[in-house]
Amino acid sequence: MQFLATMENLVVRYHNFFLEGVRNTLIIAFFTVLLGTILGTLMAMARMSRIKPLKWIATAYIEFFRGTPLMVQLMFIFYGLPMIGVSFPAVSFIPDFDRFAAGIVAMSLNSCAYVAEIIRSGIQAVDKGQMEAARSLGFHQRQSMTLVILPQAVRNILPALGNEFVTIIKESSIVSVIGIADLMYRAKGVIAKTYNSLECLAVAAIIYFILTFVGGRLISLMERKMSHGRK
Amino acid sequence: MAENKMIEVRNLTKRFGKLTVLDNISTSFAAKEVVSVIGPSGGGKSTFLRCLNLLETPTSGQIIFGGVDICDKKTDINLHRQKMGMVFQQFNLFENMNVMRNLTIAPMKIRKMPKEKAEAKAVDLVSRVGLADKLSAYPSQLSGGQKQRIAIVRALMMNPDVMLFDEPTSALDPEMIGEVLNVMKALADDGMTMIVVTHEMRFAREVSSRTLFLDGGKIEEDKPSKELFAHPESPRLISFLEKVL
Repeated sequence: MQFLATMENLVVRYHNFFLEGVRNTLIIAFFTVLLGTILGTLMAMARMSRIKPLKWIATAYIEFFRGTPLMVQLMFIFYGLPMIGVSFPAVSFIPDFDRFAAGIVAMSLNSCAYVAEIIRSGIQAVDKGQMEAARSLGFHQRQSMTLVILPQAVRNILPALGNEFVTIIKESSIVSVIGIADLMYRAKGVIAKTYNSLECLAVAAIIYFILTFVGGRLISLMERKMSHGRK
Repeated sequence: MAENKMIEVRNLTKRFGKLTVLDNISTSFAAKEVVSVIGPSGGGKSTFLRCLNLLETPTSGQIIFGGVDICDKKTDINLHRQKMGMVFQQFNLFENMNVMRNLTIAPMKIRKMPKEKAEAKAVDLVSRVGLADKLSAYPSQLSGGQKQRIAIVRALMMNPDVMLFDEPTSALDPEMIGEVLNVMKALADDGMTMIVVTHEMRFAREVSSRTLFLDGGKIEEDKPSKELFAHPESPRLISFLEKVL
């Protein structure tokens, strides 16, 4: 009971702190999902391209970003790149713009690789016979893709993409290491003030869970809407 | 068969890596001819059929269709495929569309046929195969036999000059084979040019005018169907027929 009372106390006293963290976590996640999906779609197209060099570059990119830790990628971009003269500018009216930019870029580049694989496998999971049937009627490759393959691939892609979005909310906690005041960063801040580590982490965990749970529900709701009318 | 060749195959060879699936095949198909292609699995039947509309790219050789070598890189294969209907073993109806859309999408998008006209045509054709009540159904709601009949109608919607059938009844439950074969027989009676890869020996013998026996990538025997089944010559055909009849 003592444990719960301490948690309640923390929430009451530091709720602004936690809420600011939630806001920043959501900002990071939102832009990562947006950029990651756009870049990931382009990367998937490159990965499946008939132009060999493009395909090789995309494959190498995907393998590299999936095969190295996000933490390393993040630190590389925020601490490493400025050493060779590449750094994100500070913008006066947006506090911590450089950190946010680096965090969003690192997470988007990382997510891009995963999204690309989700899209590629979703497209390739559509039965080969569908493409053959479309081509045998006289449809061009492109028409077959847009009329027959992609509408079916979307149904394979959406659930996995939903998972990826939920994962992004959780993984975004890593940006706290470059000093972005996200939920994890704020939780650590409250620990430093109160020494209630366990309770503080529990509060953070519960908030993360609510975010991912609600996010997951919203996504499956969307999925159901989109598959409406067919089995 | 010699005079009005609709499709002429010259020295068709297909290799997958080191494996030669079709070995220098030459033959031709006349308009209104119904030809069955029989033979053991792995003998190259399906590959042969799929080469005719370039779903498989031949390694060498020529396929002359409507006076044009469709293997020539300069030929627009999409144009020729419109005139060659194809029916697959696995039906391959578009899963994301209902039956009506499956039938009308190609005439509407490729031939720019007005929607009303395409739908009227779909209703007409689908009634002939007894599935007029299924127009709003999705493929997943149909039985195998129904799917295949719809797949045949889908190909017919483009008014093809020739219909290619790739083992159209092999994936069907036995009680559904008849309904599909009946549709094919009616099509043959209407004078459609048909090339049918099949394991249905009765169809080959009774409906098709000519039968090719393909084994080891070669046409081992090529005769009018009745003759081929009554007097098989090559030892391989004799042993094949002993096994399947």
